[in-house]
Amino acid sequence: MKADTSQFPELDKTKFEQRGTEFKLGIPVTNAVTVGNSIAVGFGDGTVRIFTSGKSSEPIKAHKGIVLCMSKDGDNILTGGDDGRFLKISLDGKISEIGNFGTRWVDHVTANNGSLVCSSGNIVYLWSLNHKQPKLFEHNSTIGGIAFDTKGRRLAVSRYGGVTLWKKDYSNKWNSSELNWKGSHNKVIFSPDGKYLVTSMQENQLHFWRLKDKIDSAMSGYGAKIKSFAFVDDSKYLATSGAKEAVCWPFDGDGPVGREPICLPYVGNKLVTFVEPFPNENAILTGLSDGSVFLSEIEKASNTIIIRSFTEFEVSAIAVTKDCSHLLIGDMGGNILWTSIWDKEKK
Amino acid sequence: MEETNKQVPVTVLTGFLGAGKTTLLNRILTEQHGKKYAVIVNEFGEQGIDNDLVVDADEEVFEMNNGCICCTVRGDLIRILSGLMKRADKLDAIIVETTGLADPAPVAQTFFVDQDVADRTKLDAIVTVADAVHLSTQLTDHHEAEEQIAFADVVLLNKIDLVDESGLEVVKERIKKINPFAKIINTTKCGVSLNEILNLDAFSLKRVLDVEPDFLTSDHDHEHDDDVTSLSFVSDTPLDMEKFQDWFSKLLQTKGQDILRTKGILDFTGESDRYVFQGVHMLMDASPMGKWPEGKERSSRLVFIGRNLESMNLKEGFENCKSA
Repeated sequence: MKADTSQFPELDKTKFEQRGTEFKLGIPVTNAVTVGNSIAVGFGDGTVRIFTSGKSSEPIKAHKGIVLCMSKDGDNILTGGDDGRFLKISLDGKISEIGNFGTRWVDHVTANNGSLVCSSGNIVYLWSLNHKQPKLFEHNSTIGGIAFDTKGRRLAVSRYGGVTLWKKDYSNKWNSSELNWKGSHNKVIFSPDGKYLVTSMQENQLHFWRLKDKIDSAMSGYGAKIKSFAFVDDSKYLATSGAKEAVCWPFDGDGPVGREPICLPYVGNKLVTFVEPFPNENAILTGLSDGSVFLSEIEKASNTIIIRSFTEFEVSAIAVTKDCSHLLIGDMGGNILWTSIWDKEKK
Repeated sequence: MEETNKQVPVTVLTGFLGAGKTTLLNRILTEQHGKKYAVIVNEFGEQGIDNDLVVDADEEVFEMNNGCICCTVRGDLIRILSGLMKRADKLDAIIVETTGLADPAPVAQTFFVDQDVADRTKLDAIVTVADAVHLSTQLTDHHEAEEQIAFADVVLLNKIDLVDESGLEVVKERIKKINPFAKIINTTKCGVSLNEILNLDAFSLKRVLDVEPDFLTSDHDHEHDDDVTSLSFVSDTPLDMEKFQDWFSKLLQTKGQDILRTKGILDFTGESDRYVFQGVHMLMDASPMGKWPEGKERSSRLVFIGRNLESMNLKEGFENCKSA
């Protein structure tokens, strides 16, 4: 009889841990973002490190205190920090400052087609390509999250009481409409097909709107706040954290109303803290509060493999390179696993 | 809300504009050498804070979407505290300075309601800085001043050099009538030993056991209905747990908006442990806290601070909880 290490992850290192490189940096990992075949990681000491196969990753001193948020603009990394700065960082570590808000934090950053966007307090700032001065979008409360749709014509801004949807008309003028739902809304995303808008709330639930007819509904039943959620396999499922299972809501057909989610269980009965879609597959990488990470097929939970065993710190970042050759896992204890996904022999 | 070593203590400084909050804040920051503090201020506050970690906040009060109208939290605090907990270096403490007209309840409730905040930080104490000269007028004119006294664990009665002895007594009586728990410290220019305002752990249930409310013997005859006052009840007869829970939960559900703070130690029939609780509006932290000390009489004590307490039939309700 052979011990099943996936049932007792503490007994052995996974093949990914054996193959990859582990870093014990001791600095909380706050974000990770895929930039081509590199992965940029933000930390709780204001530094950014860029992981690329075959290269070493030196810390880049970007912010004074914390890298609060990250996104990308083409081949560049965007960061916002608690030093009030909105930065663009190239893959070779060159930093340029786009905005500076002093003692006000830059809470969210994003980009689309060369337009650079950040939020600080209740204002969204948008720098159009080759414009020095940003355009300001003011809201009635501090902004919980910002997101562009795939085409870049709509910008969703979540806030207290709902979402403000900014839409660019063909004369490039931005008009707003309101999607209201009581309570405080945090992170917001569009479905890749542009049909749905989803937010996580201060309460332990998500809210979604179907944009063509503004039908909306809550997705509840979670034991904790939902910090991480993402659409998988184009827009087929919405994978979510916040429960002891990865809860995957069906968004194909007529959407999730009246349908049951698929719940993927994991050994150890720990809280799911991070979900990351595996590119081009109906599969997710799931990070738990004890640091362990699994790869699961949504419609075939028996095909679950362990990627990283536990570290005792909650998983706060997972990212996969664009070519699907490498993945990176980071946690709140500052442990990082950077590993190739496939066996060299197989490839 | 119980302490663990990982939780960073948060001290809330309230008080009207000009009472001396910034003076106190700067004293804390300059006297505590070698300690790392984060200070959360609001943009309309008094200027000149001498610290390298100052965060601007907006005092956004959010209603929780859970059907309870008095369950409000400070959204900006959730965001900022969650962010600060991602820092690589450990903070010794966090100080939140509120605007003069802020209601302290949403601040306190944030630590009950948000799990991430409760896991990583703990509300250490609410310290209210009051101007000995102007407090009486402010209490009459602004309900926020009453709330700041009602929620205080410590009232720093500042500028006492500017009032005479009888004037000082009048102000102190007024404070005690609103809040018999608060420790009143007389100061000029906020000159207070910092261990009297920091690391008090005032919101832990253990501390409820230590506090002997300083009640006035006077009766409650000439208040307006909407004045904040306090009422306390003592019983040597053990209480019936089921009856008490029934009465108390209904009371908080229906009158939670007017009940600002509650604290109590309860002696239930058939239970060997003391039951201790403390609450803010409808939110409650309660737990058995070990056996009654030997040689000490078992008794139940219950204190309410709030508005319109006289209309709630509290005495009758409490009497009905006694075991037959």
